[in-house]
Amino acid sequence: MTFPSLLASAVAPPLFSPPTPHRRRPHRRERLGMKTLRLMTVGGTIAYRALFNWTTPGMFIGTLLVGPLFQLLFFAYLGRQLQVADDRFYIVGNAVLTASLACVFGGTMAVANERRYGTLGHVLLSPRSRTAIFWGRVIPYAGNGLLIAVVTLTAGALLLGLRIPVSALPGLLLAMAAGSLACGFFGLTLGALGLRFRDVWVVSNVAVALLLLLTGVNVPAAGLPGWMVTVGNALPITHAAEAARRLAAGDGLAAAAPALGQELLVGAGYAAAAVILLKIFEVESRRRASLDAL
Amino acid sequence: MRSLRLLVVGTLLHAKHLSRSPFEVTIALVVPVVQATLAVYLFRAGGEQHRLLEAAVGAGVMGVWSSVLFGSGGAIQDQRWQGTLEMIMLAPRRPVLIILPITIATGVVGTYALLTTLLWGRLLYGIRLEFAHPVAFVVAAVVCVVALGMFGLLLAATFVLMRNANALANTLEYPVWLVSGMLVPITVLPAWTAPIAAVLPTTWGARALREATSGGPVWPSVAVCLGISVLCLALGAVALTHVERRARAAATLALA
Repeated sequence: MTFPSLLASAVAPPLFSPPTPHRRRPHRRERLGMKTLRLMTVGGTIAYRALFNWTTPGMFIGTLLVGPLFQLLFFAYLGRQLQVADDRFYIVGNAVLTASLACVFGGTMAVANERRYGTLGHVLLSPRSRTAIFWGRVIPYAGNGLLIAVVTLTAGALLLGLRIPVSALPGLLLAMAAGSLACGFFGLTLGALGLRFRDVWVVSNVAVALLLLLTGVNVPAAGLPGWMVTVGNALPITHAAEAARRLAAGDGLAAAAPALGQELLVGAGYAAAAVILLKIFEVESRRRASLDAL
Repeated sequence: MRSLRLLVVGTLLHAKHLSRSPFEVTIALVVPVVQATLAVYLFRAGGEQHRLLEAAVGAGVMGVWSSVLFGSGGAIQDQRWQGTLEMIMLAPRRPVLIILPITIATGVVGTYALLTTLLWGRLLYGIRLEFAHPVAFVVAAVVCVVALGMFGLLLAATFVLMRNANALANTLEYPVWLVSGMLVPITVLPAWTAPIAAVLPTTWGARALREATSGGPVWPSVAVCLGISVLCLALGAVALTHVERRARAAATLALA
């Protein structure tokens, strides 16, 4: 419809109204896309509520908000004492890292707790896409991680007197979201190992500890050996923390974009790895009849 | 003598039991090593190479605290889940003599962390294990483990009253590392944390080990650590008796 005809219709009611056209039935592919999106969001939310153990506010606040804040304070004071880097380095980096606690354990729980509670078989009997089911599981945990990172950054900045430019906040939110999502997929990859190994929580605990060391959040990359930096580059959080630091320093989104892109790439890599591992281990578990064996 | 025998045999039994768990042992060995590595690189980056042994000891003590916090905090709950709580409470001895060996055993398992970080530092980073007071270091380490075990009894007796004890345990790990000066000197913390640090046995245990490592008056710190821990033991014993009586009266001993 052109502009004059629009104006005419606004001035005087049309004498003839064309019959209302039938709503176009969505194409099969569109319907499938909508269904998949629904499966990921609704399925992910239901699974989060069912499998997330820390459902009381006290547990949530204690474990996921207060604990990470003290982690930030611990490293910020250690950094101050050793004068390795300034407060911004520790506050921003650790705030991004705090998302890893919820995301790595959450992603692991998304698979491992299904097995623990004996519901994994039911999930795998579903005729829907495994990829959509398990990727959907990551979304609430990534949201959780983002919330923790935002709260930790706010509290840490207020307590230690860090000033962050207001213009940097949308970019920081983006960096923390990218880090949380990448961490969630990293956790899902570890959770996939839970189909093969008996005690996946050992792997998750060690992985979370390694993130402290290898992501360059607490020790600047220049102070780490080359191989640790290389491993860190393939881990979530590393690039998100770098992007967040650039943004907090007022460098702008353009300066942080390459690091953000790398973080998303790392996240996509773990998303793909999780799907492949889940497929391989599922087939093997079926063959060995060990799907629910603990 | 019988009580002492019970304590020793009980501690050995529970230390062996905990050492059979791949999860406990892996976490006790690997996580402190990661923390120690982090500390070593941080101290190097900060130009404090001469304090690397202190960093390794500090990371080890952090591991001891984590073991005691999670092990002792959940000691009674774990017995409940294993279905052995009624049996050990039926024993014709005081509850404190039954539960204390469990909490001391968590400290003993924590020493795996201390030994591993020292070995790791020596083998990988060439840190020379030259303690200023070697004998005092060993004594301080033993006292620290026993003292934290006594503190653990207080945790066990109070955590069991709380439905969200796990959350409290998760929350307390970093604050105690921070306030006790295990890696960060207390002097760089805000002044209001000093009274909190002063009443924690972890502060004095970590201080005794640090002084034995780098030089300083070890014995006063050892004595204060032991004194506070005995107080914790007394409070824990009272709390445990109260909890046991209440659980027996309400018939909730085996209920989570």
